[in-house]
Amino acid sequence: MSNVTRRKFLRDAGIGAGALVWGCYIAPDDLFGKLSLPKLIHEGVPLGKDNFFVSIVPIEGTIVITTHRAEMGQGIRSSLAAVLADEMEADWDRVRLIQARAASDKYAIKFPFEVKNELPFPYEKTYTLKEQYLIPAEGSQFTDSSRSMTAYFKPMRLFGAGVRLTFERATAKVFNVDVSECHARQHKIYAGNNSIDFGDPRLLFHASKLGDPKYVDVDDALKKPKDWVFINAAKKPMPFADAEDMVTGKPIYGADYHLDGMLTAMIERCPVANGQIKSFDATAALAVPGVRNVQRVLPPNLPPGGVGQAFIPHAGIAVIADNTWAALKGRRALRPTIVWDNDQNPNAAYDSTNFRQTLKDSTASKGNLVRRTKADVTDADFDSANTVEAEYYVPHLAQAPMEPPVATALFKNGTIEIWAPTQNPDGAQQAVGRVLLNIAPEADLDEGTKKRIREIVTLHMPLLGGGFGRKSKPDYIIEAAFLAIQNPGVPIRLQWTREDDIQFSYYNAVSSQYMKANVEGKKTTALLQRSAFTSFFGTLFPESRAKARAEMFGGGVYPYGSGIERAQGLEDMPFNVPKLLIENCPAKNYIRVGWMRSVANLYHAFAIGSFADELARKAGEDSKKYLLELIGEGRLLDLPSEKVALYRNNELPIDIINLPVEGSQVRQIVPGYPPDTHHLRAVVQKVAEVSQWDDNVRKYSGTRRGLGIAAHRSFLSYVATVIDVSFNEKDELTINNVYTVVDCGLAVNPDRVKAQMEGAVVYGLSAALLGEITVKNGAVEQHNFDDYPVLRIHQTPRNIDVTIMEVDKETPPTGIGEVGVPTIAPALANAIVAAGGPRIREIPFYRKVKVLL
Amino acid sequence: MPIFQLNVNGKRHTVNVDGNMPLLWAIRDVLGLKGTKFGCGVAQCGACTVHLDGRAVRSCSVDVGAAQLSNITTIEGLSYDGGELHPCQKAWIELGVPQCGFCQPGQIMSAAALLKAHPHPDDTQIDDAMRGNICRCGTYPRIRAAIHKAAGDRT
Repeated sequence: MSNVTRRKFLRDAGIGAGALVWGCYIAPDDLFGKLSLPKLIHEGVPLGKDNFFVSIVPIEGTIVITTHRAEMGQGIRSSLAAVLADEMEADWDRVRLIQARAASDKYAIKFPFEVKNELPFPYEKTYTLKEQYLIPAEGSQFTDSSRSMTAYFKPMRLFGAGVRLTFERATAKVFNVDVSECHARQHKIYAGNNSIDFGDPRLLFHASKLGDPKYVDVDDALKKPKDWVFINAAKKPMPFADAEDMVTGKPIYGADYHLDGMLTAMIERCPVANGQIKSFDATAALAVPGVRNVQRVLPPNLPPGGVGQAFIPHAGIAVIADNTWAALKGRRALRPTIVWDNDQNPNAAYDSTNFRQTLKDSTASKGNLVRRTKADVTDADFDSANTVEAEYYVPHLAQAPMEPPVATALFKNGTIEIWAPTQNPDGAQQAVGRVLLNIAPEADLDEGTKKRIREIVTLHMPLLGGGFGRKSKPDYIIEAAFLAIQNPGVPIRLQWTREDDIQFSYYNAVSSQYMKANVEGKKTTALLQRSAFTSFFGTLFPESRAKARAEMFGGGVYPYGSGIERAQGLEDMPFNVPKLLIENCPAKNYIRVGWMRSVANLYHAFAIGSFADELARKAGEDSKKYLLELIGEGRLLDLPSEKVALYRNNELPIDIINLPVEGSQVRQIVPGYPPDTHHLRAVVQKVAEVSQWDDNVRKYSGTRRGLGIAAHRSFLSYVATVIDVSFNEKDELTINNVYTVVDCGLAVNPDRVKAQMEGAVVYGLSAALLGEITVKNGAVEQHNFDDYPVLRIHQTPRNIDVTIMEVDKETPPTGIGEVGVPTIAPALANAIVAAGGPRIREIPFYRKVKVLL
Repeated sequence: MPIFQLNVNGKRHTVNVDGNMPLLWAIRDVLGLKGTKFGCGVAQCGACTVHLDGRAVRSCSVDVGAAQLSNITTIEGLSYDGGELHPCQKAWIELGVPQCGFCQPGQIMSAAALLKAHPHPDDTQIDDAMRGNICRCGTYPRIRAAIHKAAGDRT
């Protein structure tokens, strides 16, 4: 199929636009007729018919780049735009960024040619569609799993290069010269003694007459690393477009929109998941000056949310008022009048202290097979004298982004407009659409309905005041939508308090890990791991649909974990032990469970990283040396041969995908991302070097100072961390130094990579030292930063040293946002032992050692 | 409801609100200055930090009535809008301190007050002045470096 017919076919098939068009095509109608002046100035003329990423304002020449991912501190807004601008040879001072609304169909990336081959997972899921996607529409804006740069680096480059190539070809027409004489540099194309600006109407006119360049030509036109400007900070630091606004208080976050006639709502929610409202009395709340209305959030026909109800919120009663203070006061007056109904609610018996024992019991017996070596592990492999056993526990944790959830919604004439900070704009849009169209929360939607929802729900994206996984869930946006629908024509801003945030998170899973190994002489000969954790999929789907959903998400029928969670540090456990057995044991959900920065890697890495150190001590070996021995010689993990049926490699292929393109040319379309322990070894060796491990271990031996080490692969990147701690005469713990090394492929924006790794150290220390959510009678016991403390500046190590591994510049980038977290807890626990402290096998550590509070 | 005079960023405002309304909500909801952030409401996180006569205070925990005789400065007034940036703001940009940016107005207001009291703070003084400001992105190492830089000291 040619380009044109394929696109026509797409429209006919109702799939819509969104194809990656590499070139520049500007219809004269668009340029001189249909577009109004304000639209031109703000949005420019799209470069490429179906290209939503970049447009140009004629004459002025401003390049308008649409940033479509959620910006929550990773700097991705600037980084992806700068990649595109770099390939285009745009002058950054003439680039303007606009934040996309929810419009996932626009940001899908298709294969730029017909694909006949059977593609390996994960693409098989998209095979039922009539087109094959590199990035499917659904999820194209979903900013999770540290995937933005991994997924969009090459597409953004191709876009930029395609526009540049088309501009060079158009310049050849303008000056009647050969295209080989035309070269773009900093917003101009030079041809001999002539030059033409990107905004010049002659250039745009000729560009509009050219067809799309072929994929192979664009691929060939990609800049060589030596010509990069911003990418990898080759010649200039990557721009940070929002920095100045951020330090002057100018940016718009979720709570900062002002709409005429806007009211503020606060909700008193049932503290127990799936609980109901028995009764309440609105009189006192309504008597508070400024309170306008008191109303139930959920419609009467909808069972309250919690566990197994998708993202439907907990039952709640809203107080709607003129301003935040009146809403707060009204809610205080309302609170004592509410009687909740939890008579038939099993969640009301949930007690996290008891549940810890339940999890422990779960790992006491055989679970579902996750992975095993050919030589099976049996009881005979463990000799009591040589056996090392340990259990590791990580409680529920709350993400606690600095900006509490907030959403503004306006319902008018059957459509709804939302302003909300969300990591998942298209997911939130679809969830609100279900509310509007009265579709059951767990029902599957057909493409037509999804399209209709995109038409009737508009979602605007501000900057996010942190996300860490909390804002991947749209519950608070759904609440705002329910309230807006009850108050047509009135913009409602739903403001969560910090108490709401701590008490109604989607908590990171509580988990228990049972580890057992046999150490003969110095060698670990057999290893058993049993992991029990409360899967997010138990929160999302009703038990009646567990089986169907398990098929979709790769094994593990609830109450077992999903394929996504098992792939995060369990299936891909890196140690090369002769006999290995890994199992997943069941755990049920009684409160909402979601994802926190690094997700299941957090508890898997804590157990595995700590246990490696315990084995080293049993063997009487240096911890770093023994860690390298456990990892063994560098190898590609061959998971299928060890009974891992479907390893979800952060949803990216393990092997390189090469395909024939436009005739007989074969091109690499997707780089492979195999779990490869060569890289893990390399980061361990590097962190040993930068921390002067050997010298310092010798130096601190026998003192109250010590080093701990841990290494982990997550989101396709490899990290190793050394933490240096000491105890003073009062037995108080001080963290002196943290050294962390990351191999994230090409560091596209080295400064933000460093910033993310520094932040991950702080986030990881926060969780390890202080993190704990407990539950009694189904209700969370913590409220605010006084009883859910997080790390503060005086508790932060004075030296956090980040090293980025040097790689070949053609290496594709891998994840960064979450990858720095998992090694922190185990490295810290190991360091505490090295400094003469206790072996800590549970979070939070402050219960076992004295931490500066 | 009572009427209060508020002197914010050198401008006089008259607000007609509940006298127990925290200053934070008067600044945000009534005056429409959105740079001051709500993070916890109980003086635990520092996102709402403003200056009251040059001192850093948590505006979520000061009643509007108690603020009416003071000169209030918010992040919008720190650089005298449109004028030169405060040395902290410059240092914050140069060292790439912000990540999500949400807590940074509060961090900068605390840091600016610290530098006024101690033009060359040591690390302990920084800890004492800044421990009331939480940053979940974990920008603390760069905040420390930026304060030293703004003070013209080592970074």
